[in-house]
Amino acid sequence: MEVAIHITDLVKRYKNADKNSLDHIDLAVHQGEKFGIFGPNGAGKTTLISVLCGILEPTSGKVSYHFDSRDLAIRELLPHVGFVPQDFAFYPELTPMQNLKYFGALYGISSTVLAARIDRLLEQVGLNHVKDKKVGTFSGGMKRRINLAIGLINQPKLLFLDEPTVGVDVQSKVAIVSLLEEINRDGTTIIYTSHHLKEAEDFCDRIALIDEGKIIAIDTLDQLLQANQVSNLEDLLIRLTGKHLRD
Amino acid sequence: MKKYWASVQKEIVLFLNDKVGVLLMYMMPILLVFIITIVQNSAFQLVSENRLDLLVVNKDTGAQGDSLISMLKMSGSFSVEEANNLQINQLKSETIDRKKLIAIWIPPHFTAEMDAQAGQMSNNMLSEFGAVEKDSTLIQPNHTPLQVFYDPVLQENFRLTLMSSLSTLLEGLQNKNRLNRLFKDMGYDEIPAEIQQSMQNSRQLIVSEPATSGEASPIPNSTQHNVPAWSIFAMFFMVISLGGNLVKERLTGSFVRLRTIPGSFPLVLLSKMTVYLFISLSQLMILFALGKFVFPFLGLPELNFPQNVLALIVISVLSALAAISYAILIGTFAKTQEQSNGFGAISIIIFAAIGGIWVPSFIMPEYLQFIGLLSPLHWCIEGFYILFLKGGSWSALSGTIIYLLLFTFACQLLTVMKMRSQNYL
Repeated sequence: MEVAIHITDLVKRYKNADKNSLDHIDLAVHQGEKFGIFGPNGAGKTTLISVLCGILEPTSGKVSYHFDSRDLAIRELLPHVGFVPQDFAFYPELTPMQNLKYFGALYGISSTVLAARIDRLLEQVGLNHVKDKKVGTFSGGMKRRINLAIGLINQPKLLFLDEPTVGVDVQSKVAIVSLLEEINRDGTTIIYTSHHLKEAEDFCDRIALIDEGKIIAIDTLDQLLQANQVSNLEDLLIRLTGKHLRD
Repeated sequence: MKKYWASVQKEIVLFLNDKVGVLLMYMMPILLVFIITIVQNSAFQLVSENRLDLLVVNKDTGAQGDSLISMLKMSGSFSVEEANNLQINQLKSETIDRKKLIAIWIPPHFTAEMDAQAGQMSNNMLSEFGAVEKDSTLIQPNHTPLQVFYDPVLQENFRLTLMSSLSTLLEGLQNKNRLNRLFKDMGYDEIPAEIQQSMQNSRQLIVSEPATSGEASPIPNSTQHNVPAWSIFAMFFMVISLGGNLVKERLTGSFVRLRTIPGSFPLVLLSKMTVYLFISLSQLMILFALGKFVFPFLGLPELNFPQNVLALIVISVLSALAAISYAILIGTFAKTQEQSNGFGAISIIIFAAIGGIWVPSFIMPEYLQFIGLLSPLHWCIEGFYILFLKGGSWSALSGTIIYLLLFTFACQLLTVMKMRSQNYL
């Protein structure tokens, strides 16, 4: 598989911080891959995703992107990037329809294409019946699903998901994961962070374990479990990152 | 263009959803303009249209006390109630109990006192001309004062106006008395008719006219002052709606998503400015229309529009842009909605106070007038006063236009710098 993102010696240190949030990270994500980033709270997962999708500037190091046999700068790639942040990134005063129309229009998608895409997405995330209700009135699971749908409105080649299933019920979680499987089958590369280790075991092709800004392990789940002689991801995380509590 | 309109539509929906914001932007200025204009108009009528209730206790044993009361009644400024049975120690409490704003105590020897003054002056004058000998046996005036009591809630400017009216009436009474005495001392029974006639005719006329640069002379009244002043105040109060809206978007994560959509952020700011420019101008239009068409039905003076309509549009747009830029600046720098609302509202109130929205700048101490020049509201109101009260020439408006452009530019520049530092632009 072709490399989609190549990260070399990446460092991110926030202003006035006493240590690096990302500490000399080297990583390659392949095209069409479902890549999971796991680690305890404050490990640097969200910072890494924010740097990868251009929200944060790295302090040093290099991130290069390669799609459709071309090297691209992040600015060129952004129209084809989907981003689903951990926080709800939509307008609660607007309906799902209005939110999707707005973000879709910002990507410059034509009205007819956008209308069809919105219908399909609302169907896929199970919000068609409430498409004209204000999102602010939705349950946590419904909000997660509209948050995801907005991230997919531009049919991204590269999708970043930061804890997309946090705080949702089993039904919403299953719906979200199955939608992600579907879009991955259509060729979208997915980079995913989560606390749900079972999800990672079922969903990700490869995973990277990150702690204190460093990548401490990277491989397929089976290889990692075998190499560390543990039976599941939870035991693997405890073995590699320890039991002490994190801030 | 499609992206821009989508963004504008979103801003309109967000604004309409913010019920408090809508009320603040439209209802608050309407209420403010109505209430302040009615209050100020009543205050104007109070001193100009025989509305001031006056309590008089006349203890004078002569005729001048009655003459003074007649003059007070005829002046058209007072509604006089006489209560001659009251004593001076009762008068303070009676003033309040009878809901009078002012009370006058005419002392028992008021006429005798005036006569003594007149006699002395007449003797001085005639002896100076050598017509009579200086008479040292004349009764010396005691300078017993006329006493005035006023309700402590009466504002200083009203009290001074009333005292000034009273002094004028007293002076007229005294002058007449002095002349009578002078002619009497010269052997006349009374002032000859032709002299009385010529005194009446030789009174210096005063014609007052507003100093304007245009040909039209709008009549200054409470509407001409209040409609522009409170419209500007309300316009700048958009800091609550727009500034808060900006902070909210930043904190809820929508801005984070926008950072991953190329070129969307400047568009979002531009669309916010467009929508709030429309809101500000519609605010002005509504208030101006109320002043023009509704105020006369309520007995309030009608708002007279300036002749220079283009200048009115320019000043309105520049004022709105200054208010929008300030709101965006506050929304960009504030870390929370509470900060934006609190600082924004207080800063606008201070700007309004030092900018001459509440009281005219010229009555402030010199240092405050100087500080007031920093207030954008000062320049906005200056612009509108030039338009609505002073003829509205372009040369007179140039200072306002330059300041508002500079203020808008400075706010925008600081906003861009802050947003760049936060990686939004």
